[in-house]
Amino acid sequence: MFYREAGQFKTGYAADQAIFPILQDRLFVIAVLAFAFVVVPLTANDYWFQAILTPFLVYALTALGLNILTGYAGQISLGTGGFMAVGAYSFYKLTTGFPEMNLIVAFLIAGCFSAAVGVVFGLPSLRIKGFYLAVATLAAQFFLVWLFNKVGWFYNYNPSGTIDAPPREMFGVLVTGAAAKPAVKYLAALSMLTVFALLTKNLVRSAVGRSWMAIRDMDIAAEIIGIRPLRTKLLAFAISSFVVGIAGAELFALHLGSVETIAFDVTLSFNILFMIIIGGLGSVMGSIMGAAFLVLMPIALTNLLVGGFGMQATSAKHLEFMVLGALIIFFLIVEPHGLARLWQIAKDKLRLWPFPH
Amino acid sequence: MAANGLIPQKKEGGVLLKAEDISLSFGGVKALSNVSFEVHEHQVLAIIGPNGAGKSSMLNCINGFYHPQEGRITYKGVTRKQMKPHDAAAQGIARTFQNIALFKGMNTLDNIMTGRNLKMKRNFLLQALYLGPALKEELEHREFVENIIDFLEIEHIRKTPVGKLPYGLQKRVELGRALAAEPDMLLLDEPMAGMNLEEKQDMCRYILDVNDEFGTTIVLIEHDMGVVMDISDHVVVLDYGRKIADGPPEEVRTNQDVIDAYLGVSHD
Amino acid sequence: MGTVYDFIVLPLIDIVEYPLFFIEVVIGGLSAGVMYSLVALGFVLIFKASGVFNFAQGVLALFAALTLVGIMDWGIPAPLAILATAGVMVALAIAIERLMLRPLVNQDQIILFMSTLGLAYFLEGLGDTLWGSNVKRLDLGIPEKSFEFQGILLNQFELVAAGTAAVMVTVLAVFFHRTRVGRALRAVADDHQAALSVGIPLKSIWIIVWSVAGLVALVAGIMWGTKSGVQFSLSLIALKALPVLILGGFTSVPGAIVGGLIIGVGEKVAEVYWGPALGGAIEGWFAYMLALVFLMFRPQGLFGDVIIERV
Repeated sequence: MFYREAGQFKTGYAADQAIFPILQDRLFVIAVLAFAFVVVPLTANDYWFQAILTPFLVYALTALGLNILTGYAGQISLGTGGFMAVGAYSFYKLTTGFPEMNLIVAFLIAGCFSAAVGVVFGLPSLRIKGFYLAVATLAAQFFLVWLFNKVGWFYNYNPSGTIDAPPREMFGVLVTGAAAKPAVKYLAALSMLTVFALLTKNLVRSAVGRSWMAIRDMDIAAEIIGIRPLRTKLLAFAISSFVVGIAGAELFALHLGSVETIAFDVTLSFNILFMIIIGGLGSVMGSIMGAAFLVLMPIALTNLLVGGFGMQATSAKHLEFMVLGALIIFFLIVEPHGLARLWQIAKDKLRLWPFPH
Repeated sequence: MAANGLIPQKKEGGVLLKAEDISLSFGGVKALSNVSFEVHEHQVLAIIGPNGAGKSSMLNCINGFYHPQEGRITYKGVTRKQMKPHDAAAQGIARTFQNIALFKGMNTLDNIMTGRNLKMKRNFLLQALYLGPALKEELEHREFVENIIDFLEIEHIRKTPVGKLPYGLQKRVELGRALAAEPDMLLLDEPMAGMNLEEKQDMCRYILDVNDEFGTTIVLIEHDMGVVMDISDHVVVLDYGRKIADGPPEEVRTNQDVIDAYLGVSHD
Repeated sequence: MGTVYDFIVLPLIDIVEYPLFFIEVVIGGLSAGVMYSLVALGFVLIFKASGVFNFAQGVLALFAALTLVGIMDWGIPAPLAILATAGVMVALAIAIERLMLRPLVNQDQIILFMSTLGLAYFLEGLGDTLWGSNVKRLDLGIPEKSFEFQGILLNQFELVAAGTAAVMVTVLAVFFHRTRVGRALRAVADDHQAALSVGIPLKSIWIIVWSVAGLVALVAGIMWGTKSGVQFSLSLIALKALPVLILGGFTSVPGAIVGGLIIGVGEKVAEVYWGPALGGAIEGWFAYMLALVFLMFRPQGLFGDVIIERV
């Protein structure tokens, strides 16, 4: 009833190509952003920031990065954890080696390192496709994690083998390190997610994004209309790894604070893949929704099973695995295009409501 | 030149593409043997022949998807060595496919926009900002694509995912994508296969309009002899990978070898 | 990290000076490779017949081994317990086809792949819930004595494993090439639609192939479980089987076997001779790198056909 586009006329191609062509959508997004940037920091408590909100934002950024590669460019990657590790360890080396470095610069350089590594491991994508490539990306996963574990230089020869986020300031406010306020970390993660979501959306509705999707949908036809496969795929690997690397740095510096390589193991890669499948392949919104689902679902389940039914924590953990697995299958059966598609369908229904057609 | 006489006499230019002694085989199977022919500028050339005659393979050689083991292809006066498909596209060769090869995850508009990709020069950092030169470029090309959409009369399916379109419309979108590249030479692989009469007539009209208005050279593969005789200036006939006839439609129609090939006279 | 000397000269000196030890390393690699082959075989069967990249194959092996141990704990003799477990695996195959594959028919391969990831999570949770997550011993009375043969140290268990694998492969080869069901399976692998149109029942074919994969998983689970105990890490052999697959090709049964042996030997030799120079623990990624390098030169795998692309 209130969600109608009647009376909103587009007067140019620019208006037709806007991200949210419908006025109500624009208002909704502005409201959500205002809520996230202003209301949440004032009201949420530390548990919400540390256990739910910050990890959600970090994983959403990771999922966004992987979605560029897998959802848009069609290259399945199981090496996400490895590329996150590159970002995290680069960030650690940068902030400890150059304590004066601006944090934004440190995040960006960490992303660049990850992008470079991503390009190297993307090279085989010219010759191998599909699941063969997916397995090949596991090489990146295992090799990188091994490397950061074995070479002491990466963790500054810390005898415990862990890396700890050093306390660093931005605009005179402590952002990283144990003493930094959870709300500040949350805002940092939120800002980065907002910026990268916008940039990604722009990219995928431009020529670069179309060439990615062309390669994804039919690589031979894409090449015949003049898209260079290697260049296009490597750009996808680079940009995806860049975003994933920054997310890895966030996971380390804003969420966990202190990590070992085990934090970046293959389970993480699979979890991120789950996020984009459940959220929706090839959808910016889907990446965010998928991350929200996979962060909230286990917490809700544990609360329900342990808190609600008084189950033991270990058996609850096993049951959680079962439920998670079953839910994934269930979601794939009900809507293989993910939550983003459900959202779209709901919006289309709402547009017509209360009329059926 | 054109058999139906309705189309005004047009001037054919010099040789645009020259194929000499093309031979192509997969393992032991010969797909093409010693095929030679010329394509002139502004010509509509049809390649015909029974199934498995090597017609699609010939197109694949022209746009660099297959690399013939023997023979030379000279395009715009340059004899090429190994050429990649995207190089061919960069030099103005566009094509459509026998089995529609649209990008199923995108809508009509985006599919046709991919055809403009070669002409879009802004780098990805500008595109990520979607501002200034990148936005201007995007809108310019959108306008060009809208003209194609008008020309092909597919305005109503602009935002429809191509996977949901009926066959005839998909073929039309594919033609649109090829046209978006502003090709000098357009390769059409069975553009009218599986269409009803009305759709065929529409498609013929588009092909002739493109040829007339933009002077685009067209090489097409088609099975419908009526269509071939009507719209082509020149016909090349392949059978079992060999060229058995080459000439204007009315001449090819009466060629005994061609009649034999189509009626299935045994080969010695 | 070592020097050039450590990388190139030292390993070669070691190999030349102690050839018997080298042979033992190779045999150790072969015996590990047989295990990888067994898991890879399950992958290949399912991929061949349904185009599903079944990530749950490793968990299937774990689940089978857990079930077997659980049933034997009730005091049921080993042969009966194995039969009962085989029955469970077949029942599982039917359930998978009904509840997972059938509703997902005609979906993209990546969706099917993701569903098997979900299946892996589910089965892992189910196995742990039913049988507990502590490490269990699996003792079927397979001899594990070591003996010396011409100065080379061998283990009876490894011979049994190799023999079992050889028997499995032979049986499967006969099954695929000599039986009606086998031919139907190969037809389905070539083209689902065409197979359906000549009256091959896709549903029962899928049940059969998942059952066979389940039985292969049971054998792999028994072998691996006997060797190193039944525990969660067993499901990780799936990760070891993946490089085998890209080496051997996703659809080649001989590829799975030969690929498994190459990976097994390559990994062991690299670990023993080059591992120290690299700081150790390289077996986690070496197989992948080996397969990757190989793939750069032969994208279709060891036994795959050259792919002719058409438009």
